[in-house]
Amino acid sequence: MLSGKGFDQVINMSGGIKAWNDRVAFGPEDQGLELLTGNESIEETLIIAYSLEAGLQDFYLTMIDKVLDDAVKSLFRKLSDIEVIHQKRILEEYIQITGKEIDRETFESVTVEKAVEGGLTTEEYISLFKPDWNALPDIVDLAMSIEAQALDLYSRAADRSADDRSRGAMKKIAEEERAHLEQLAKLMDTL
Amino acid sequence: MRWKQFFTPVQSMNSEEAREFMSGKTLDEFTLLDVRQPGEYEKQHIPGSKLIPVGELDKRLDELDPHKPVLIY
Repeated sequence: MLSGKGFDQVINMSGGIKAWNDRVAFGPEDQGLELLTGNESIEETLIIAYSLEAGLQDFYLTMIDKVLDDAVKSLFRKLSDIEVIHQKRILEEYIQITGKEIDRETFESVTVEKAVEGGLTTEEYISLFKPDWNALPDIVDLAMSIEAQALDLYSRAADRSADDRSRGAMKKIAEEERAHLEQLAKLMDTL
Repeated sequence: MRWKQFFTPVQSMNSEEAREFMSGKTLDEFTLLDVRQPGEYEKQHIPGSKLIPVGELDKRLDELDPHKPVLIY
């Protein structure tokens, strides 16, 4: 979120406070992942955004089975439903911007699939962060870090949008991701 | 569905590298930023760190000096 906003040097401490306390090594978080430059076109950004929403939805659905707390299950289900709505809006935006008449199945199976070829499965992705499945704060923390990425992605997409309508659409989704973050933050405060 | 990293790449350090980076530097020379929730910060944080929860970060960037290295956890 700081990168690309004029900050000279941004350093991520991998493993966070847990690694700091335990003095344990934490694998590189970019292991097996492809880093994009942050200079993708709005069209490319929308494809990435779509795959991210699918990933988020998959993440929440995976988590619903793993967590025991009913309130957390319910929130994750709600968030997963909203990610589906986001996917729909992103596809509409993609069609508007590119002028390509494409249905959801083709978009998913061809366009998005190609963009994330060689990427990680949700399980593999989550395992990079080594969460403690029995510790709810770990899981909520992970959800927050993914939602923060989404917020960042949409904010950048809004900045890059060529017209006001498109900018507005991206900003709206960014604000909704911010609301997700707030909901997760509230949940975290109760844990 | 598969995942790819899509952020602007940032430098990453493990905790030992971070300790090394910080040793011999004063807190004026870099920003140690905690982006967790206030409750987590209160329970425990790395001494000298500034708290800005991740959900507020993009609205509070003006509180940080862009010319100092920012070490985030």
